[in-house]
Amino acid sequence: MKRWWIRPLVRVVAACLLPVAVPAVITAFIWALPGDPASIICPPELCGGTAELAEAWNLDQGATHFYTTWMGAAMTGDFGNSWRLQPGVPVGELLASSIPWTAALVVLAFVPLLVGAAGAAARIIPRQVDAILQAVGLTPSVVLALCAAAVVTITYGAFAFDDEAMRVKLLLGALCLGLADQALSGAVTGVRGLMEEERKQRYVQIAILRGESVLSNTLPNTLGALAGQMRARLLHLLSGAVIVEVVIRIDGLGDLLWQGTLSQDFGVVLAAAFGFALLSALLLLLQALVEVATALHVRRSPAGVVS
Amino acid sequence: MNRKLAWALATLCFAVLFVPGLFAPEHLSPPDMANAYLGFSSAPPFGADASGRPLSEYAMQGARVVALPALLAGLLVVFLGTLGGLLACTGSQRAEAAAQGFGEVVGALPRMVVVLVVALLVPKDARSLLPIALTWAVLAAPGAMDEAAAVASRLGGARFVEALRAHGFSRARIYLIHIVGMNLRPVLMRQGVETMMQVVFLEIGLSYLAVQDSQPSFTHGDSEKSWADLLYFGYQAFLDIPSSHGLFLGLALVGVVALMSVFVTQAVRAR
Repeated sequence: MKRWWIRPLVRVVAACLLPVAVPAVITAFIWALPGDPASIICPPELCGGTAELAEAWNLDQGATHFYTTWMGAAMTGDFGNSWRLQPGVPVGELLASSIPWTAALVVLAFVPLLVGAAGAAARIIPRQVDAILQAVGLTPSVVLALCAAAVVTITYGAFAFDDEAMRVKLLLGALCLGLADQALSGAVTGVRGLMEEERKQRYVQIAILRGESVLSNTLPNTLGALAGQMRARLLHLLSGAVIVEVVIRIDGLGDLLWQGTLSQDFGVVLAAAFGFALLSALLLLLQALVEVATALHVRRSPAGVVS
Repeated sequence: MNRKLAWALATLCFAVLFVPGLFAPEHLSPPDMANAYLGFSSAPPFGADASGRPLSEYAMQGARVVALPALLAGLLVVFLGTLGGLLACTGSQRAEAAAQGFGEVVGALPRMVVVLVVALLVPKDARSLLPIALTWAVLAAPGAMDEAAAVASRLGGARFVEALRAHGFSRARIYLIHIVGMNLRPVLMRQGVETMMQVVFLEIGLSYLAVQDSQPSFTHGDSEKSWADLLYFGYQAFLDIPSSHGLFLGLALVGVVALMSVFVTQAVRAR
């Protein structure tokens, strides 16, 4: 109780560590594998002059040099050029064109989760709905995405990349992402469980007897945990976006990451992983901020109480 | 649902899914165009693909691809979850902070991104679902560790251990039987089987994406077929190709995996 700041502090440290550690681990892995990195990324029988490629990809002066150069440039927003996916094209441009799609997809998918969580917290969504949500949530994202892709193909055929078709894809993709892999059911049951547990506390019962509202009493004590749950849900959506984007063919960050992986383009993969790590770090910081604010609020003496 | 019935159904699902993998052929049968696109009744038990090869071979090979990695991933989550629960019983703040630090960093990584990076780093000739499944298990572990720690804390943590010590029980008995066996078991089993299910779905997802792009899968060799191939073949039914039996079989396998998870969760629920 006294050391309430340990948890937010660990989160802040983790948030600072994450964007630095993710590219470091990937770089370390490239050099840890047997053989020289340029040959691993593009075998000589496919790419020919490995020494030239190593120089072009900055792989010829060791892991530390590669990492520090890459991180230094990434801090200024320069992610270098694509190695193999679209050789020569700046990765920053690829990221800039793909991030808005993923952001729209994830935000659209997050809205029903937020509504579901709020509904569960306020007891608007009855418990009987849980079974239905859980049954739907057992469906893997690839299966729901397949259904969405079928709808788009049947409806739009060759015009599946028109503006209207893309809007429909986004909506259907968000629906798949929100429902599949227990995203919505997890949000509803998770928040309900947390709030119901809190409602059983003695101080809430006394607050009810005093005519105060339940939510205003329980919320400060559960806000930290709720922020944690919402952060986990957002990460879950970001993770699932890869499959949904590729199957439905939305040109988002997940699709870019997948294409980069298929073509063994470390320039793209490193930048995309860094982007995801940055986003995750931001979410961690937000959660820590909510926890600190809540802790300070809870610990503030109510007006009129003499200590 | 009755626990015994749930166990029986879970075991049945497990057997239906994974035992056929033991009998999976090394390679698919040679094409027989006379059988192309035959349905369940014409080419029992599951019909044939566009080259007339039986879909049962797809199902068996797919089972072999996922069985061992999914099982090991589930066991790893159970192990790490047990560790998380037991750490909460030691009452050590340092251990708790270390577990939280691990959970924060590992849990903050978007799983699919890490999985794709691992898939990229595994040499082409050593491609298998196992490294991906184990990575997924490590990424899923913080959730299991958190939940197990919460259960252990509700028990009383270190005070629970002290109380049982006062009754004269040995540490091994307290930790293994009273804490893990009697109290953490429902959580650990559920988390383990959910991870198994997620690994199977992950394999299907990754293989489907690769098949869709006409690329080799990250999860198995080129000579093997996964359940994603069934879905890909069956999905063409939407384009008026007579392959709906493939879609039905693929979806049925996905359904049995999900049911297995539900039945295990029912079977191990707390009394």
